[in-house]
Amino acid sequence: MGIPSAPLVTRAFKDLAILNAAKRGMPHERICFTPHPVWGKTPEEVRVYVEGPDPVSGKPLMKEIVDALTVPLSDDEKKSGIVSVSVGPPTFTDTADNLQDFYLNNGYTDFLPIILPTEERVDAMMKGTSHKPDEVVGKMAAGAYPPWSYNVRQAAASAVMAGCRPEYFPIALAIASTGIASLFSSTNSFAFAMIVNGPIRDKLEFNYGIGALGPFAQPNATIGRCWTLMSKNLGNGGIPGDTYLGSLGNNLNYNNVVIAEHEDASPWVPFHVQRGFKKEENVVSLFRGLGVVPGQVARGSSANENVQFDYQMSDLFSTFTGFFGALIIADPLVAARLKEQGYDTKEKLFDWLYKNTTQTVKDYKSRNYAYLFEYPQALQGREPYATWYKLPDDAVIPHFPRPESFNIVVAGGQTNAYPQAGNLSYGVSVSIDKWM
Amino acid sequence: MSPALLAGIPTEAQKPTNKATAAKVAGPDKVTAVNPKGTPPPIQLIPMAPRLDTLDGKTVYLVDTGFHGSDVLLHQIEAWFSRNMPNVTTVFKRKAGPYAQDDPDLWKEIKAKGNAVIMAVGH
Repeated sequence: MGIPSAPLVTRAFKDLAILNAAKRGMPHERICFTPHPVWGKTPEEVRVYVEGPDPVSGKPLMKEIVDALTVPLSDDEKKSGIVSVSVGPPTFTDTADNLQDFYLNNGYTDFLPIILPTEERVDAMMKGTSHKPDEVVGKMAAGAYPPWSYNVRQAAASAVMAGCRPEYFPIALAIASTGIASLFSSTNSFAFAMIVNGPIRDKLEFNYGIGALGPFAQPNATIGRCWTLMSKNLGNGGIPGDTYLGSLGNNLNYNNVVIAEHEDASPWVPFHVQRGFKKEENVVSLFRGLGVVPGQVARGSSANENVQFDYQMSDLFSTFTGFFGALIIADPLVAARLKEQGYDTKEKLFDWLYKNTTQTVKDYKSRNYAYLFEYPQALQGREPYATWYKLPDDAVIPHFPRPESFNIVVAGGQTNAYPQAGNLSYGVSVSIDKWM
Repeated sequence: MSPALLAGIPTEAQKPTNKATAAKVAGPDKVTAVNPKGTPPPIQLIPMAPRLDTLDGKTVYLVDTGFHGSDVLLHQIEAWFSRNMPNVTTVFKRKAGPYAQDDPDLWKEIKAKGNAVIMAVGH
């Protein structure tokens, strides 16, 4: 912009702010810091911040700000040019035990033991694809930082580490090609999910029956883990305080929510067919959000009557943030009951949920996500937020912005009619076959 | 701190901790494993904008990114300027869109009408 600026950041994000500025080309940016947090403080409390010291430098905050705008630049601050960045040699040689420690201590793992990505194992992994070792697969960004790029060989190393077999590798490559990291820098501790569709579910022996979401099959376990290892290694995600800021973290990040759809037991078209693929194609679809909860806790879980799953879901979703969508993970018994209730298409169910999961404008405006992400869009005239923000506080509006906010996938062993649901929004569906 | 260090694998936890491991001398008990890291982009250093001689008589834009409390903080800074540097003109603006979205129209306005920017993220 060519105008002197003084960015003001709360102390909790000191490392992030300094590193982000450096990675974007301003390693000496004059960042000023306030105590943390500012959120929820009164004007009087914030005045104390303004009249007090910068908690990082110890100097008076306003002098720091004025100096940031007026003290002449040093030679370092005027520098231009290109700085190359190294992540070390292409290989490491040592004993297996030392390498296990080395990979763990240098942040390459999820802190569980790994299969060492020896050259032989990485070569074997790459036999699972026809693509060349040096072919660029994609780019992945850890939060707000510029994205890193990676090739087939680099991706294969994480696939080996996660315990994948070579025949699983095309799924890992398909995920990597999206550039979506399963570790996200937000303070929200996001969770991620994938749906696998197509004949590859049976060929690789994914579990979509009893315990479909549990640790009961190698492809479900290792491909999910691989996504997180690729996010750490290919995109440099998951470094606490730097590329990861989730306050509590999320246990689902170990191997993510991996759902192979029980296509034959579903009364509806498979998820990937909804997204324009043919049934015989192999596809992986990715979701992002806050996590997964059980459906049994919602109202409508009657002991003596057939469960009204539509009401049950609507009740559950009223606790979700509408910013993310809602992904229903339905046991085939749940899906069959929904069809009996008249939902012979997914769209009919989504339309009902959209119209019957509601909130008042007052409640809507009080929500954190609405203020942070949707109010700014309302100011720009984007719907439905612009209309919602003009309505009176007692007006009743949908909890989610559109029927397409909902998704459903069928999986499970039919031992009981229990659904689960994720406050997860759909991202993208990509071909696995392309990476075979 | 050097830009290269800042831009690489910067935290203490990420620095190689066992230099012997990186040695490329294979022995009978040694194995060679692939570095799993992706390839970071090079960093284009950006010279910082020239500073002002003084803020007296200048216009300072106070830009709210939209994080909770940023507006409260910036209004207190506005009040501080009124009390302590009354010759500074302050202009409060909320950046358009969610916090991560660019706002080129505001940057144009600041370049045309302002002399300096204080941007607050709150949180």
